[in-house]
Amino acid sequence: MALSREVYQALEDIVGTENISEDPAVLDSYRYSLSQTSIHMGPFYNTFTPRGEAVLLPGSTEEVQAVVRICNRYKIKFKSSSTFWSAMGYPSDENTIQLDMRRMDRILEIDEKNLFAVIEPHVIGATLQAEVMKLGLNTHIIGAGSGCSPLASATSYMGPGPDTIFMGYSDENLLGLEWVMPNGDILRTGSLGSGLGWFCGEGPGPGVRGIVRGLVGTRGAMGVFTKCAIKLYPWPGTTKLPVEGIVPAYRAVLPDNFRAYTLAFPTWKAWADACHKVWDAGIGYIAHRQFPMFGRELKAAMIKILTDPTKTLYDLEEMLEDPEIQKMGEEMKRDFQIVLVGMTPRDIEWQEKALDEILKGTGGWKVAAMDVPEIRNWVLLYFIRIGHKNLNLVYAGGYDGCFGLVGPPDFGSARAEEIGEFKGKWEKKGAIVDAGGDCMIGGIGGIGGGGLCMWENFAHFDPDDKESVEGTFDFFEASFKFGLERKFGPGMERGNVVARGPDGKTTPKEIRERILSSAPQPTVFRYQRKIKEAFDPNNLGDAYYVTL
Amino acid sequence: MALEDHKPEMERCSLCSYCKWIPLDQIKSWRFAKGCPSIAYSNFLSYSARGRYAVALSLLQGRSNYTDRVLDIVYKCQTCGSCDVTCKVCRYNLEPLETILELRAKLVEDGQCLPQHKVMIDSLHKEGNTISKPKADRGKWAEGLDVKRFNKERTEIVFHAGCQFSYDEELQKVVRAAVTLLKNAGVDISIMGENETCCGTRAYTMGYQKEFIKSAESHIEAWTKAGVKEVVTSCSDCYHGFKRLYPKVGSQFEVFHTVEFINHLIKEGKIKFTKKVPMTITYHDPCHLGRQGEPYIPWDGVEKKIRNQVVVYEPRRPRYNGAWGVYDPPRNVLRSIPGLELVEMERIREYAWCCGAAGGVKEAYPDFAKWTATERIEEAKSTGAEAIVSACPWCERNFTDAIRSMADKMKVLDVVELVQQAM
Repeated sequence: MALSREVYQALEDIVGTENISEDPAVLDSYRYSLSQTSIHMGPFYNTFTPRGEAVLLPGSTEEVQAVVRICNRYKIKFKSSSTFWSAMGYPSDENTIQLDMRRMDRILEIDEKNLFAVIEPHVIGATLQAEVMKLGLNTHIIGAGSGCSPLASATSYMGPGPDTIFMGYSDENLLGLEWVMPNGDILRTGSLGSGLGWFCGEGPGPGVRGIVRGLVGTRGAMGVFTKCAIKLYPWPGTTKLPVEGIVPAYRAVLPDNFRAYTLAFPTWKAWADACHKVWDAGIGYIAHRQFPMFGRELKAAMIKILTDPTKTLYDLEEMLEDPEIQKMGEEMKRDFQIVLVGMTPRDIEWQEKALDEILKGTGGWKVAAMDVPEIRNWVLLYFIRIGHKNLNLVYAGGYDGCFGLVGPPDFGSARAEEIGEFKGKWEKKGAIVDAGGDCMIGGIGGIGGGGLCMWENFAHFDPDDKESVEGTFDFFEASFKFGLERKFGPGMERGNVVARGPDGKTTPKEIRERILSSAPQPTVFRYQRKIKEAFDPNNLGDAYYVTL
Repeated sequence: MALEDHKPEMERCSLCSYCKWIPLDQIKSWRFAKGCPSIAYSNFLSYSARGRYAVALSLLQGRSNYTDRVLDIVYKCQTCGSCDVTCKVCRYNLEPLETILELRAKLVEDGQCLPQHKVMIDSLHKEGNTISKPKADRGKWAEGLDVKRFNKERTEIVFHAGCQFSYDEELQKVVRAAVTLLKNAGVDISIMGENETCCGTRAYTMGYQKEFIKSAESHIEAWTKAGVKEVVTSCSDCYHGFKRLYPKVGSQFEVFHTVEFINHLIKEGKIKFTKKVPMTITYHDPCHLGRQGEPYIPWDGVEKKIRNQVVVYEPRRPRYNGAWGVYDPPRNVLRSIPGLELVEMERIREYAWCCGAAGGVKEAYPDFAKWTATERIEEAKSTGAEAIVSACPWCERNFTDAIRSMADKMKVLDVVELVQQAM
C-alpha cells in the first residue's frame, strides 16, 4: 500500500526531496534477509522483512518530530534505525516508513571534565572512540563492534561488550537523553530536562530511563532517540591508535602499560574461579571469551590466518594438520582473553602480579603461542577497537547465537562441555560449520554486582544454501528444547520470536500472548503494555517493544 | 562472471555496513572516517556496496525494475573500491567491487545507459579517446620532444601517455617530463604519439565491457607484433587496465607505473638529485594504482565447501583486498627528494579516499565528483601541506578543478614534477 500523495508530499516537505524515496529498489535495500541472521530467530530461507512504504533521512530533531506527528495524524507506523544491526532495525509491517538516521551523525560535545560525550544517532563507536582518545578518554564499544551506534545501543538495546568489565553495559552508560516520543512530543530526561546539562540520566529532572529502555530496550519501537550523552572512561594510551601491518592483519603496538593475554585453564572450574578472582582483584580493562567464536577446533588456525595477510580460508584445512597449530588449539580449549591496562607503571605491574597469582592459584597459564608480537598486537587492536567483529560471519555469511547462558561464570562454564558435545553432534549433520562444538563466547562479567557472564554458542551457516539454512533452524529448535530439558533455561534461539515471525512480519498477537503468558515474570510485559498505551496511543511502533 | 554469478554473494552479504567506512581499525577522527563517497554523498543505504547487493538482487528477482533512481544508484559510484577493502577486513568470500562492475555491465547490456557515458563511448569509437578530443591531436603533447616514436623506432619498452595526459594542456608537462627522465636515465623507450589510443579502462568501469575488450585486444595485438616486452605509463587508470584487466584478455607484458620505474632508477643511482625542493606535501594514493593496482593472478576454479559450510575456492583464489597495491614506490621517491617533507593524510594507502573522478562520475555527475575532490582537499589541508601530490592525471585534473572552485591556494602536483624539480 503506497503512501497517499498527500502524505508523501507532507513528508517530503519536511525532509526535502533528496531525503525521501519510495523507489522499490531503494526500499529493497532497507529489507533484512532472514536467511542471513536475525538475532535471534530463524534463519528462514529466502525471506525478507517487509518492504516499507518510504525511506526518510531526517536531519534534525525538529524534522523527526514533524515526521512523527505526520505518522500520528495519518496512522502510519514508523521504524527508526541508525546502523541497522540485524532485523530489529527494519519495518515489521506494511504501512510503515523507515527512518534512516544517518544524517544525524554529529558528536555535539565532549565534556572532558565530567566524562561524557553528547552524540547523535549515526555516530559510531569507532568515530567516537577516535575523538575521545585524543583527550585521553575511551568509550564503551559493544560486542557487535565499533561500526554500531552507541546511541542506539545505550537507548534501545542491551549492549554488552568485551570492555564491559571496566565500562559496563550500554544501558549503564546512558546519561541525558532527547527523545521524540511516539506521539511526537519531545522529552528531555534527567538533568537535561531541568536545563542543567547532560551529566545525569535520572535527575534532577524527569527520570524515565526505565520507561525509555523497558526490559531490554525498545529496539526502534517507541519513538526516536535523537541525542544522548554517554559516559567516558580513562584511556592511558596514545592519542591515536598506532595501527600498522598489512590489511587485514592490522595490529597496534601500544606502550608497556597495555598487555593482552589469552589465558587457559585445566578445568572449567578453574576457569570460573579465575573469573571470580579477576573481579575480586579489580584487574582488567577488557575481558572476554572471544576467539572460540571460530570454534574450538578451528580457532587456532583461524587466528593464524587472520594475522597473516597471505593466508585465506583455503589454507584452513592444511593448517589444521599442522602439529604446532594443533598444540596451540589444545592448549587454549578452556580460555578467555584479557587486556590489562595500567593507569600508571605501578598499576600495570600490580595487575600483572595479581594475574600471575590468579593463574598460580587456579593452575591456569598464559597461552604462549598467543603472546608473540604479531598476534598479541593484533589481539590488542581487535579488542580495543572491535573493528573486526564481522568475523562472526567469516565462514559463509551466516551466524546466530544459541543457548545464551546468563549467570555467574560457574553457570555457563559448568555447561560448556555438555553444550559443546550437543552442538558437535549437530555439526556432523552438515548444515552448520563443523567447528568443534564449543563456539561459546561472552564477556567475563560486568562492573558492579560482580560478574554476570553471558555466553552464547555461535552456529555458522550459509545463507545461500537452503539445506544449510533449514538445517540450522532445526538445530536452533533442538537447542531450545535441549536447554529447557536440561534446565539451562530458554536460550537465545527464539529471542525475538515474540516480535517477528517466520514471514518477517510482526508475530500474530495470539502467539505473542501465549508465549509471554508462560514467561517466568509476565508482569513486566503487562507493565510495558501500560507504558505503550500511554506513550504510543496510536500503536505506531512494532512488537519489538514487548507487551502483554 | 555475469551478475547472476554473484547472486550467492548477495545472499551472503551480512549487511554490516562496514563498506561505508574506511577499515574501522584505521579510523583516526570523526571527520575523515568515511570510505565510500557514494553513500557519503547520497545517504540512502542503496548507495553503499551492501545496498547495491540488495538492489542487484531485487532486480534479478524481479522485485524492482529500472528507474531513474536505479540508474542513479548504479552509476553514481566511482568504483573506487574502498568498499571492497573494508568488506574484506572480515570477509573472504565476497567481491563487492566486481559485483558493482557486473551490475553496470548488466545495465549497459540492457540498454540502461547514461547519455553522458554514451558520449564518451561514441568518442572512444570515433576518436580513440573518451574525452571527445580529435584523434589527430593525440600526439601533440610530445611535439619537439627528443624521444623515439614507436612506429619508426621500435623499442621493447613502450610509454603510454593515456587520454587525459595526452590532451590536457595543463598536465602534458608531466608526461613530457616523465619520458625525458626515463630517457635521460638510459631507458630505451618509445612513445606511440598520434597512434596511441585509449586503453579502454574507463569504458570497463562504466560497464562497457565489449568496448574494453576491443581496446585491449587491439593494444595487445599491436604490442605483440612490435615485440614490446614492457609497458610504462604515468596514468593510474591505464596502469590498472594494463596490469589487472589486460591479462584477462591474454596480455603478458610487464607493466610499470612511472613511479615504480623512477623508484627503481633512484635505487640504481641512475636518477640523482642535485637540488632541494623545500616544500611540505601530502600524497594522494590513486585508487587504480593503490588498492586496485595489485598484480593480476590467473585463476580458473570453483567454489567448494570445507568443514560443511566454510566457503572456499579450489584452487586457491587470489584475494584482491588492496594489500599489495603500489603504495611505497611513490612515497620512496618523494622521501628521497632533498628538502621535501611528506606528511600523510588520515586516509591513505588501501583506505585512501577517492579523488572523485573515476567510473564516469566526473562526466555524468560533476557536482558529486567535485564534492568528493573537495573532501580530499580538505583532508590534505588538515595536514598543513602546501601541495597534494598524486600519480594520476584524472585525480590531478579533478583536484585542480575542485581547488579552483574553492578558490583555494593548494597546489596539485604529480610525483614526476617534483622529481624533475630536484634534478
